[in-house]
Amino acid sequence: MTFTLDRRFFLTLAGAGAGAAALAACGGPSTTPGATAAAPADIDFSGVKPAASIDFWSNHPGKSQDVEKSIIEKFHAKYPDIKVNLVTAGANYEEIAQKFQTAQAAKSGLPSLVVLSDVWWFRYYLNESIIPIDSLVKQLDIKLADFRTSLVDDYKYAGKQWALPYGRSTPLFYYNKDHFAAAGLPDRAPATWQEFAGWAPKLKAASGAQYAFMHPALAGYAGWTLQNNLWGEGGSWSKGWDITCDSAESVAALQAAQDSVYKDSWAGVSSKESADDFAAGLASATLSSTGSLIGILKSAKFNVGVGFMPGGSKEKTGVCPTGGAGLGIPSGVTKEEQLAAAMFLQFMTEPENTAAFSAATGYMPTRTSADMTAVLAQTPQIKIAMDQLAVTKVQDNARAFLPGADQEMAKAAAKILTQEGDVKATMAELKATLQGIYTKDVKPKLKA
Amino acid sequence: MTPQLTAKPGTSAPAATGRTMPQSRPVPQNRKRWSTRSLRDFVVFLALALPNLLLIAVFTYLPLINNIYYSTLNWTLGSASAAVVGLENYVTFFTSADAGRVLRTTAVFTAATVGGSMVLGLLIALALNSKVRGTTFARSAVFAPYVLSGVGVGLVWLFIFDPGYGVLAWILRGVGQQSPQWINDPQLSLVMVIIVYVWKNLGYCAVVFLAGLQSLPQDVMEAASLDGAGSFRRFVSMSLPLLSPTTFFLLITTMLSSLQAFDLIRIMTPLGAGTSTLIYEAYLQAFGAYNRAGYSAAISVVLFVILLVITVLQLRFIEKKVHYS
Repeated sequence: MTFTLDRRFFLTLAGAGAGAAALAACGGPSTTPGATAAAPADIDFSGVKPAASIDFWSNHPGKSQDVEKSIIEKFHAKYPDIKVNLVTAGANYEEIAQKFQTAQAAKSGLPSLVVLSDVWWFRYYLNESIIPIDSLVKQLDIKLADFRTSLVDDYKYAGKQWALPYGRSTPLFYYNKDHFAAAGLPDRAPATWQEFAGWAPKLKAASGAQYAFMHPALAGYAGWTLQNNLWGEGGSWSKGWDITCDSAESVAALQAAQDSVYKDSWAGVSSKESADDFAAGLASATLSSTGSLIGILKSAKFNVGVGFMPGGSKEKTGVCPTGGAGLGIPSGVTKEEQLAAAMFLQFMTEPENTAAFSAATGYMPTRTSADMTAVLAQTPQIKIAMDQLAVTKVQDNARAFLPGADQEMAKAAAKILTQEGDVKATMAELKATLQGIYTKDVKPKLKA
Repeated sequence: MTPQLTAKPGTSAPAATGRTMPQSRPVPQNRKRWSTRSLRDFVVFLALALPNLLLIAVFTYLPLINNIYYSTLNWTLGSASAAVVGLENYVTFFTSADAGRVLRTTAVFTAATVGGSMVLGLLIALALNSKVRGTTFARSAVFAPYVLSGVGVGLVWLFIFDPGYGVLAWILRGVGQQSPQWINDPQLSLVMVIIVYVWKNLGYCAVVFLAGLQSLPQDVMEAASLDGAGSFRRFVSMSLPLLSPTTFFLLITTMLSSLQAFDLIRIMTPLGAGTSTLIYEAYLQAFGAYNRAGYSAAISVVLFVILLVITVLQLRFIEKKVHYS
């Protein structure tokens, strides 16, 4: 028997090992038949005692780590027997989702409470990764009626409540008041995109900024803000589960967006974060989340104005999507941990805490009874965001519920806005992709 | 990569080496002595190698086998259940537009980064091989990017390439030009990532080539010089062929490294628009927005097979053209 560990053998092993190392090693799934989500059942928590320690996974939306810590300290003072460990589980919604999904696959290391964004919670529902919280709401007497209806209803499906709103936001129209004044424009957001198109040449000429308007970064949440453009022209990503991104109205809306970049040349497309570009003075106006408000106000060296999202030629109002994140309780932890997590969830969303969170970040106060007087005195712009909540619209299913749809929308937007791709053909291609995702990844899991 | 000269018992040493090898002895005695030694050596070999082999088996080959199994499932990451679909994930991949796009991107990225790192690395090694002041500092400076964190490098270069307020845009504006859309345009994104990857890794090639250049037989080079061969002629006809073991080694290692490049792509182009190589596509499909773990596993198997085939082809065909002495 001879072993010859020569270069040839070593390199062969290295080649094989290198490829293998690229492969994931996770816990495997069960392959028993029946992939449809089970009918949600109420969980009985009677007689359950809350766990002594729970993990709370957050990405600290809106740079909220400090305010989260302070709320946790108040929780510890009220419930000294429950320790909440704040875990930074990602830098954004996608990273926290990735970590959560991986923990699900590994069947270990799950948190008791997790931040879940508008495009992720439905997947967790489909995968049975989170529990319905109805019985906990009842047992702990969580005042659902006091939550803002549009925000809490976002997490209702199949007759159950799957999460509660936390860092909830809408997009806002941000503008540079100094630039608007220099161009002789009124100190307000435009009522429609058509009106802004009329303002843009004056803005560009008078402001000295590179662009009159900066489209949000495509790698961010292009699919979210573009709903505003689509809805204004009577289009949409989808109606129910029917994909409508290639309708004449949708194509017209995106053609107008493309024209703003190429034909009329008054708009740019942000590479990383349009809020940063705007605050740096690169553009006179942009769209960004309400969660960017405090950051923009702190970093901008000019007077910042905010306003409602502009309408379009077909719809002047009701063209602003809701967004942001909620808090959910994983199914893979013990009942004791779930109960303790629900107690903390209740505390986090109490009126004074949602007001404190809102003051620190600019996100919406999720409770109608939250006293925002002090917050509004300090940051009056938040009032605009709060008022806009009354005219928000629930997001299109295609964007919120189809796995990976947001990325596909961003890629399509990139083709249109940065490569001058044909809008109609791009939307037809997107439609086929989205339909494929629905047919393969969602439809089989929906209950009849 | 200098080959070891070995001599089997019962053979004579090559005369050219000038070494004295053991005298051959009658076969039966020899066989008995070597059997005892072989047994002892084998026990030592097992004691030393077994822990490592076990680790490799558990952390490399077991996941590999698991992954092949996962590639036959329609499994959403995070879901506790999955359906067995046989080869459907492979069929889906190879019949979709993804396959052509991803394989093309992988080929372009690998060819550009391997070629760029090796050619530039060789040129830098030639410059560093000259006896001028400051070469020690220059060697350190050239090698430094290789040991830097890919995440940090990616973030810094993102700032340089930012078309809004990046350094490159500022320079271009100074000469009246607009910055290209490095980040938003998928084609330019690929170019951007290739530039940064080559910048980060050419130091490795430069240092290895430099070691190769410094081990070339100087007497032979001087003889060629005395015979009237110019520097270019000496480089093409002597240095390059004599460097072939180094070139071959770098070709394999840089190609494996490029095919597995991840950190820079992840940091600079998180959506993978235009930069989605096989390994990044596998990551995006499972851990990005899609959560298609089974489909991702199938892509990983495709990558594994490609790596295996490339390595075998390199060993079978290219190594034959390598001059080891």
